[in-house]
Amino acid sequence: MATLPATAETLIARFGPTLNFPRPEGIPGRDTPDAVVKTHCCFCGMQCGIKLVVKNNRVVGFEPWEEFPFNGGRLCPKGVQRYLQNDHPDRLMHPLERAPGRGFAPVGWDPAMERVVSEIRRIQSAHGRDAFAMLSGVSLTNEKSYLVGKFARVALRTRNLDYNGRLCMVSAGAGNKKAFGLDRASNNFSDLARAEVVMVCGANVSETFPTLTHWIWQARDNGGRLIVVDPRLTPIARTADLHLPVRPGRDSALYGAILHQLIKHDWLDHDFIANHTTDFDQACEAVADYDLAWAERVTGIPQAKVLQAAEMWGPARTSFLLHARGIEHQSKGVENVLSCINLVLATGRIGRPYCGYATITGQGNGQGGREHGHKCDQLPGNRDIENLEHRRYISQVWGIGEGDLPGKGLTAYELMEAIHRGEIRGLLSICFNPLVSLPNSAMIREALDKLEFYVAIDFFLNETARHADIVLAGSLHEEEDGTVTTAEGRVTRIRKAINPPGDARTDTSILLELADRLGAGRHFRYQTSEDIFNELRVASRGGTADYFGITYQKIEENMGVFWPCPEEGHPGTPRLWEDRKFKTPDGRAHFHGVAYREPEEVTSDEYPVILTTGRVVSQYLSGSQTRRIGKLVRQYPEPLLEIHPALASRLGIRERELVRVTTRRGAAEFPAQLVETIREDTVFVPYHWPGKKSVNQLTSGHLDPISKIPEFKVCACRLEPTGQTAPSPEESRAWASP
Amino acid sequence: MLTTLNPVALLTATVATLSLVLAIFVGSRSLGNFDPALIAYLFGCIFACFGVVYRYTVWLQRAPTWRYFCHGWRLFFSGKALVYGWELTRHFVVNFLSQRFILRRGKAVGVGHFLMAWGCLLAFAVTFPLVFGWIHFDLKPGGIDVYEIVVFGFKTSEFRLHSAMATLIFNALNWSAILVIAGVMLLMRRRLTHAGQIAVQTFENDWLPLLLLLAISLTGVGISLDYKFMEGRAHQFMAITHAVTVILFLVWMPFGKFFHIIQRPAQLGIAIYRKAAAEGPQAVCPHTGEAFLSRMQVEDLKAVTRQLGCDFSRRGGGSHLNYSPQGKRALLARAHLKARQESGRFFG
Amino acid sequence: MNTFRLDQEFFLDPQRCIGCHACEMACAECETNGQLPMIHVDYVERYSTPQTAVQVCMHCEDPVCARVCPAVAIEKDEFGVVHSAKTDRCIACSNCVNACPFGVPRKIEPMDLMMKCNLCYDRTSAGKRPMCATVCPSGALFYGTREEMSRMRPNSSPVNTFRFGKQTVKTRVNIMMPLGATVLVVDADE
Repeated sequence: MATLPATAETLIARFGPTLNFPRPEGIPGRDTPDAVVKTHCCFCGMQCGIKLVVKNNRVVGFEPWEEFPFNGGRLCPKGVQRYLQNDHPDRLMHPLERAPGRGFAPVGWDPAMERVVSEIRRIQSAHGRDAFAMLSGVSLTNEKSYLVGKFARVALRTRNLDYNGRLCMVSAGAGNKKAFGLDRASNNFSDLARAEVVMVCGANVSETFPTLTHWIWQARDNGGRLIVVDPRLTPIARTADLHLPVRPGRDSALYGAILHQLIKHDWLDHDFIANHTTDFDQACEAVADYDLAWAERVTGIPQAKVLQAAEMWGPARTSFLLHARGIEHQSKGVENVLSCINLVLATGRIGRPYCGYATITGQGNGQGGREHGHKCDQLPGNRDIENLEHRRYISQVWGIGEGDLPGKGLTAYELMEAIHRGEIRGLLSICFNPLVSLPNSAMIREALDKLEFYVAIDFFLNETARHADIVLAGSLHEEEDGTVTTAEGRVTRIRKAINPPGDARTDTSILLELADRLGAGRHFRYQTSEDIFNELRVASRGGTADYFGITYQKIEENMGVFWPCPEEGHPGTPRLWEDRKFKTPDGRAHFHGVAYREPEEVTSDEYPVILTTGRVVSQYLSGSQTRRIGKLVRQYPEPLLEIHPALASRLGIRERELVRVTTRRGAAEFPAQLVETIREDTVFVPYHWPGKKSVNQLTSGHLDPISKIPEFKVCACRLEPTGQTAPSPEESRAWASP
Repeated sequence: MLTTLNPVALLTATVATLSLVLAIFVGSRSLGNFDPALIAYLFGCIFACFGVVYRYTVWLQRAPTWRYFCHGWRLFFSGKALVYGWELTRHFVVNFLSQRFILRRGKAVGVGHFLMAWGCLLAFAVTFPLVFGWIHFDLKPGGIDVYEIVVFGFKTSEFRLHSAMATLIFNALNWSAILVIAGVMLLMRRRLTHAGQIAVQTFENDWLPLLLLLAISLTGVGISLDYKFMEGRAHQFMAITHAVTVILFLVWMPFGKFFHIIQRPAQLGIAIYRKAAAEGPQAVCPHTGEAFLSRMQVEDLKAVTRQLGCDFSRRGGGSHLNYSPQGKRALLARAHLKARQESGRFFG
Repeated sequence: MNTFRLDQEFFLDPQRCIGCHACEMACAECETNGQLPMIHVDYVERYSTPQTAVQVCMHCEDPVCARVCPAVAIEKDEFGVVHSAKTDRCIACSNCVNACPFGVPRKIEPMDLMMKCNLCYDRTSAGKRPMCATVCPSGALFYGTREEMSRMRPNSSPVNTFRFGKQTVKTRVNIMMPLGATVLVVDADE
């Protein structure tokens, strides 16, 4: 039974989140470090270069890494404070075993491993192999992602492996594969610098990817104009040449209407369309009726602005289109992505300097992780788990029979539903906190409670891991060597700075021992992370995400190598499609006819307001790490309900009044923040907080039919003022809300 | 040279120095109780007196200082002597006796400074009256082991040789030296290891005072140790070095970091001012809508800046100084936004 | 060994600021500050705009903070850097805090001490760039040479003259203004 072993309050008191602050008198050893290690920030897909200052097996500070080409020393507040996740009071130093009534008790590695293996065996023999599932995450390096993929298929032999990238950029991945036959940002971000128009679609760059701002501002320094599509006036949108405050969930209508204008005014690259693409007619057909009046009606954006966007985008000589979770976290995420790609293809501005297109991958290793490891339908090298040829190749690399390689499993949210239905009985999780990050958290909690056995590998006891039977103390980012692939497709080196403290072990060694105990040891003989990477290179060889020509040495010498890099002599590929040879079967880029459809949940009399969710700059994802760093918590202490004053006054809501927000999944209370920078029909709540402060109690589990991404960005809610004024933010303990 | 001198300060310093000389003359019973061995120290003290009073007077004449000085005294005599007296006492105990505010700047600096400061003050209390001939010890006539303490020529109390009291009194300077040495060690260690201190410290301002105090204390203790363990073989070296460093200290007093010993008590005036400010009407920032400072201080600042030749008054009335720091920053950001907007581009 | 680089200057460009507070976190890391940030980042008025005001010390040529200090605790060094109040002199009267036209100095109440941005003296005196300007992801804070700046932002002019009401203030730190501008006027609208 995976119910909580003690009250949440008891667990919080023992395992945190505790706020870690640097000592005012300074951290001893910072001025006489044992080492200064060049590595990357552990947060977000930008993977900014950073140097960690190490003393006595502790990370005691940082130095900007000014030579690293993407960020040149620039960092966001999370990067500046990331060193404080180290030497943290909440760090798990030894394995834990559930102790009902008390919480958790320390246990030795041997009995812990023994228990895990016997439970896996018990569940799999009684209910089938697929009744034991694994959930993973893309804060893990390429090596660990690859290892997790192989571990689940070869050692656990379950088809039910998925990952938190499912909440990240799977819509973009699916869209890119459909349109280009390959899932990677088409350009590196330096191509932004001289783009005449930059269109940012559903990406709060200033808060979620602050260091990318530099490149967008550079475009503007060079005379480029900026279009930002966002229901909120975000800091990046404030000075934009054009801000399109789209009604949440109506994005594909906007891009369809812009395409309509491009066609109408013949702002098209006919040569490119004719020679390098297919299905343009379908795209045209789909938007034939999407005139400006229609667009205004659906998207809520004035006609003139839609036209202006087309006028800016259409005739430009160079451009860059960026999108992120805003359009991807929808039940039509893939369609939104395709409608953006249509705009890029129609103007033929791709595969040339300063002509670019990219999704801004969110998680640290969102890019590399999805290529090589833990995605339920994929094998290393971005291979398809249902493609016989791909299966044969990987089986041969792994030394197993093709018939022994499991097939496609359930996606993350579906997997939790299967647990809820009792079909999946056991779970191994690493680097994933679904109780905070998945939508409809009441269902997730019930599902966790139903698990017969749950083992978590983690360095802090996150909210989900509180339900575990066994917790294996794993490693932090700075405790293992490896590589990460950034949002640009640049493979970079993560360098080990210190050893895991106490009895904690590296994630790799934990997985290797489990594999061994499960009887698959001969398939997992690695001495170093580089050994794993070298096998990954072979496994990815010939796939679309081909890493074969990338070595640790080459990465270090060049400060990163862009895949594809098929041969050792190959310099890597910072910009895709210069040869116009797309990776689709016919070698052409594909338009898609995107007919607009509504989001799964629309407003009604009962739920009249649109609720959308997102992030704040000081927090990262489910906050397992950032809710433990004092100053990051203080910067934005509690989730606020952003609401337009006009809507607030209609509902009688005052500044800082606690507002009860109710959806079909549940209700929660948040203090109101009255701002004119949000649409009148929409409210916004950021999602990083747990328990009663989690907005994911309210979000819906509607999934995109192709990518299976949940629709975090749109649901219908009802707002009720409670009459109570929220206590001052300084008093909030939202970071550790039970 | 004379033209660059400050006449008021010159006058005050001269009067103060003459008064000191007179007090020495009277207090030592026409130099009857004066110890000629201390003559070098005496001249050091007289010079220090002149320098310190001169500089203090110059300092007082600065517009902001004079304003606070007058304001402080005016408040003190405004009929609320009880309130301010209590405030002063509190402030004196918390910030002068215990030096809590320094402790809050850091443990090492707090403890180090506390030891050093009290060591110095104790030494001053002993040294100055001795040098001025205001106090001395006489063997009580008719015995060989009872000493009398003579203050301004009047016998006050007596103590027996080899008593605890005698050890305490005769070694007072040694006790103070030990306090100073301990404090200096703590502070030096901080200056050697704290990166922030290393970045901003200077030799003249931060190391010289510590080294000087250390030299004074070590040679001071050295004199006694020399008597006890080395039969006075190093006496000449110890005594001369001690005298030289002490006189250096005295002569440097008006110029260097040690002047803060004289200057610091002015903080008591600030304590009264702040008390009055807190109780009086507050200035509300037009930007934030919140009180940020007393109206008294805002008006004082306007007057002081005007005296200094700065005019922050805004078009159409009001003053930039009516805004809180946050308000001022917002005004600047808005002005910049406006300039950028009017130019048609934010970037480039 | 002081290796302060006089060819480098600070350039402030507030409209580029995205309010991320990286500078503030980085500033607090400076060993001279004891984990207290000296840079200011705050919303101008969150109700109507996400605009943020970011402010470092402008290191005035004739600093008002120093002139109004009754204790003569604030000094400008040979590089034009205006330092925090001298710990031995500052009497925490907060004259400087409220006279500074840029709203820069902070009074650290429990320490009875004014502290302010000292241009990251621990770094700049060692030839490094200030921490805030090194980490700033948006170029709102930049530290480098004039040549670098004019190459990167050819359509802006660095300005170091300000007018607050009737008072003109000249500073060591520049603010980036539209090309050709020579002064930033901070005054009431007519």
